[in-house]
Amino acid sequence: MKNIVIAGYARTPFTQSNKGALVKVRPDDLAAAAVRGLVERAGVAVDDIEDLVLGCAFPEGEQGFNMARLVVFLSGLPVSIGGVTVNRFCGSSMQAIHQAAGAIALGAGEVYICAGVESMTRVPMAGFNPMPNPQLAAAMPGAYVSMGETAENLARQYDISRAEQEAFAVASHQKAAAAQAAGKLSAEIVPVSGVEQDGCIRPETTAESLAGLKLAFDESGSVTAGTSSPLTDGASAVLVCSEEYARSHGLDILARIRSFAISGCAPEIMGIGPVISSRKALKRAGLSMADIDIIELNEAFASQSLACVRDLEVDLAKTNLDGGAIALGHPLGATGARITGKAAALLKREDKQFALATQCIGGGQGIATILEAV
Amino acid sequence: MEIKKVAVIGAGVMGAGIAAHISNAGIPVVLLDIVPKGVDNRNAIAEGAVQKMLKVQPAPFMHKRNARLVTTGNIEDHMELLAECDWIIEAVIERLDIKQDLYRKIDSVRKPGSVVSSNTSTIPLRDLVAEQTDAFVGDFMITHFFNPPRYMRLLEITAGEKTRADAVMGIRDFCDRSLGKGVVDCNDTPGFIANRIGIFWIQVAILEAMALGLSVEEADAVMGRPLGIPKTGVFGLSDLVGIDLMPHLMESMQRTLSKDDPFLAKSTIPELVSRMIADGYTGRKGKGGFYRINRTAGGKVKESIDLVSGEYNPSRKAQLDSLQASRQGGLKALVNHPDKGGQYARRVLAQVLGYAASLIPEIAENILAVDEAMKLGYAWKYGPFELIDRLGGSLFGQLLESEGLSLPPLIQLAAEQSFYRVQDGQLQYLDTSGIYQDVVRPEGVLLLSDIKRRSEPLAKNGSAALWDIGDGVVCLEYTSKMNAMDPDILALMREAIGIVSKEYKALVLHNEGENYSVGANLGLLLFAANIGTWDQIEEMVEGGQQTYKALKYAPFPVIGAPAGMALGGGCETLLHCDAVQAHAETYIGLVEVGVGLIPGWGGCKEMLQRWMINKRRPGGPMPAVIKCFETISTATVAKSAAEAKDYLFFRPDDGVTMNRDRLLADAKSRALALADGYQPPQPIEISLPGPTAKAAMEMAVKGFHLAGKATDHDVVVAMALAEMLSGGDTDITESLTEDDLLGLEREVFMSLIRHPDTLDRMEHMLETGKPLRN
Repeated sequence: MKNIVIAGYARTPFTQSNKGALVKVRPDDLAAAAVRGLVERAGVAVDDIEDLVLGCAFPEGEQGFNMARLVVFLSGLPVSIGGVTVNRFCGSSMQAIHQAAGAIALGAGEVYICAGVESMTRVPMAGFNPMPNPQLAAAMPGAYVSMGETAENLARQYDISRAEQEAFAVASHQKAAAAQAAGKLSAEIVPVSGVEQDGCIRPETTAESLAGLKLAFDESGSVTAGTSSPLTDGASAVLVCSEEYARSHGLDILARIRSFAISGCAPEIMGIGPVISSRKALKRAGLSMADIDIIELNEAFASQSLACVRDLEVDLAKTNLDGGAIALGHPLGATGARITGKAAALLKREDKQFALATQCIGGGQGIATILEAV
Repeated sequence: MEIKKVAVIGAGVMGAGIAAHISNAGIPVVLLDIVPKGVDNRNAIAEGAVQKMLKVQPAPFMHKRNARLVTTGNIEDHMELLAECDWIIEAVIERLDIKQDLYRKIDSVRKPGSVVSSNTSTIPLRDLVAEQTDAFVGDFMITHFFNPPRYMRLLEITAGEKTRADAVMGIRDFCDRSLGKGVVDCNDTPGFIANRIGIFWIQVAILEAMALGLSVEEADAVMGRPLGIPKTGVFGLSDLVGIDLMPHLMESMQRTLSKDDPFLAKSTIPELVSRMIADGYTGRKGKGGFYRINRTAGGKVKESIDLVSGEYNPSRKAQLDSLQASRQGGLKALVNHPDKGGQYARRVLAQVLGYAASLIPEIAENILAVDEAMKLGYAWKYGPFELIDRLGGSLFGQLLESEGLSLPPLIQLAAEQSFYRVQDGQLQYLDTSGIYQDVVRPEGVLLLSDIKRRSEPLAKNGSAALWDIGDGVVCLEYTSKMNAMDPDILALMREAIGIVSKEYKALVLHNEGENYSVGANLGLLLFAANIGTWDQIEEMVEGGQQTYKALKYAPFPVIGAPAGMALGGGCETLLHCDAVQAHAETYIGLVEVGVGLIPGWGGCKEMLQRWMINKRRPGGPMPAVIKCFETISTATVAKSAAEAKDYLFFRPDDGVTMNRDRLLADAKSRALALADGYQPPQPIEISLPGPTAKAAMEMAVKGFHLAGKATDHDVVVAMALAEMLSGGDTDITESLTEDDLLGLEREVFMSLIRHPDTLDRMEHMLETGKPLRN
């Protein structure tokens, strides 16, 4: 079977929905900006690209039609490149990478662009027309459970205190702020509409400032807006290709895809999804957690992240080195490509061997990718 | 003259508030202040003022987008912006030298013929213009706004001898029509009209309360309701405006009034008040004032100051026999009562009304200006001369004598007659030569009260009346308590449809109450529920539905002309009108959930239809339902007519009138414009998503409940509303007629009114006036 590599990663700035600097930018334009930046930086021959796989969690309105195909046009790419929009909620753009890898492994093309986007400003979470199946909603309320509630469920089940969650959130902001200050984030960011920097990071966040926030979802719970990832606008993209192609065309290989996995769990505790999917991926890679040097664990919520940290015995010192979604933001469809691309880039930057990128998915799923240095 | 652009210099509370209100009229406005020291942003003061105004309540802007009409800047870099302005308002610190210097700068950049005015409340016009060019003097006047400029209706204008008459006309007209102000012409005398009398009144009322040993609660209770003065009385009012303002005002009065003015004998600030100011007890903006909210020990206790000891004690409701007597016998009973409350009223009224009577013609040409100023500037229900009429001239004369005060000439002139009278249906007032003159309304002002004085109703019952307002237009007036909707109003509506169909062109729904309507008569409903006459309740619901529907499809146009609150059932009448001409200060909303109900007189139906056909909403079956759900489930009340359009309580092309006195005339013209070739609206059918929509709303409601933002009964009511708005047991492939929706509305309403928690909410609202959060 062919080796598959990641040979490029770029993203737009991530900014707060409804008040950030990108509220007026359409999601298809955001995605096109990330794609154009990726193609330019990776130096890939565009005519070799087979398909553009675009993840999006709420593909309607401005994110509707077949957005991937439209992004091909908006990016000025040749019409010969296909476009497919995929939806696995928050796991959408990691799924995009998995689909491309699978296709390349089967010999269905050499080069894919795998991107993701969400403007949570312009298409609200749950979309404009949430129309749940009333019978299913009555029989299985968890099928449509709110994400905040799942975070509370895990906080209770794992007895994770508010203070622990807040310490985790503070650390995320500190790491992101330090990375931003040191210019470590600018390498991956493609400026859009004159915006060059992330907008969600709050370097001034302290345990005290978080302790003063109101509970967001459950009046007897522990989760606040400060320990949840913010609503975010942003897009990301990675270049996925066969190792052979990358080498013969002199592309800058960041990492090789070693394995990946999907798993399901009870929707009420969707945040624990990464545990099973990571274990499956590790097993497929013939590795254990101890072998992993770099971890990108999506921070949908601090409670959910900490529950995964506990079950997977994750070393926090190896995790989210440049901050996670609590500080950087979580534009649903864009996150999977960000953390996978980021893990690959970190493997190279930190000169390490193995990386894990994993995230939880609403509805009760986990998704994980294991990368290795080449 | 046409005013297309205005400038305000001075971005303090008054200047910024004036600028905001000019933007409310849709007029662009430049707001400048000085360059602050030690700050990078040279426009920081004006910019900060606008930002602050976007946050405070009550909001200076009628709609947040109006802030975009305000251009901010500073007086060093942006004076050239004044060259484009037709009116330049100075609202800077009350220092003559600073103002005079600023005027010279303004004069050097302004365009010829532009008007310059000052918002001063203490400096005479003759001093302000002393050193200015002739052109400037001709274009200058004082325009004195009251705080807050959006809400206080009074505007005092003082013109100098050399001020151009057409400039005064132009500004008066703009302030009247575009800013909605009641403009009163004043002479160039200290404090003009309202503050000259108002500050005297506050001061006398404080001194007399201290002299007679009344508590602040007692004093405010006597000064309040029996006199038709807002319940804040004098002490509550002082807290509101800031106690520290008093010494400044006194000082300026002492400086500018003639030495023999009776005001000066009363202008000493009591020692207690000085001490309060020194200690930071300056009122609501400070640590507290005559009243304060004590939040120590985690509680929230309203306390009042003891006027003797200066200590705070928990406030107690005033208990005075004289107050009790005034409830039946009115003002006369209060004044005739021997207890200290009666004595207090006698002393204060004798001095204040006597003083007011002595000031004509010094401060104004006639009694109309004085009464108007006190009503609009201090929110008195009756002006000083109307109060004297209510007491009766002879009783007032005795009052003055018993208080050892001399009778002003005007009082002697009035002697045995009243200041106002109605002659052949025409309101008249007594002028300074003792002759009755007609009260003449400005062109474009039509008052229902004037029509009522000169005509008989076409029909009336205990809760409503029908008036011919001329040119083929009929006005339906509610007369019930707080204009609550009840079966009598519905009956007269039905009668009106018959009358107007036969003999008239159009119907206007309008009244001159403080509020258009506060909703359905809850007491009636609760009574019927308590005795379990469910059939009767359902009949009442259906009766309302059918009556409003009949209004909507009547063969003539129906125009709603609301002002103030238009809630619940009152809001629903307006939703069924062909068009609305609303006063800018209309506060409209469907608030039924507060008493555990949903709108049952077609309110849900009308809102759904409005959102469904709204072209600017996002597509798909859900957004219309969700918008209605958000608005109704949270009992949203729009805080202005402009905001009401955001919620579709009003349509985009519904009219807004800034001046309440011009509302009926505007509504009448709208009605006549529509009457020509009028066709009733075509009934529409809509498709609703049914159970899937209800499931989506249920998810949201559960989230709010979990987060502690919705109570147990909120969930019950919200789910009932969701049942209604989703279309019940329907499917997106089906369409629902108006009657289908009304049937569903009725069914859901009836399910809620049988719920004991709903009955508890209704009872609580009737008893306390506040919603029960059960």
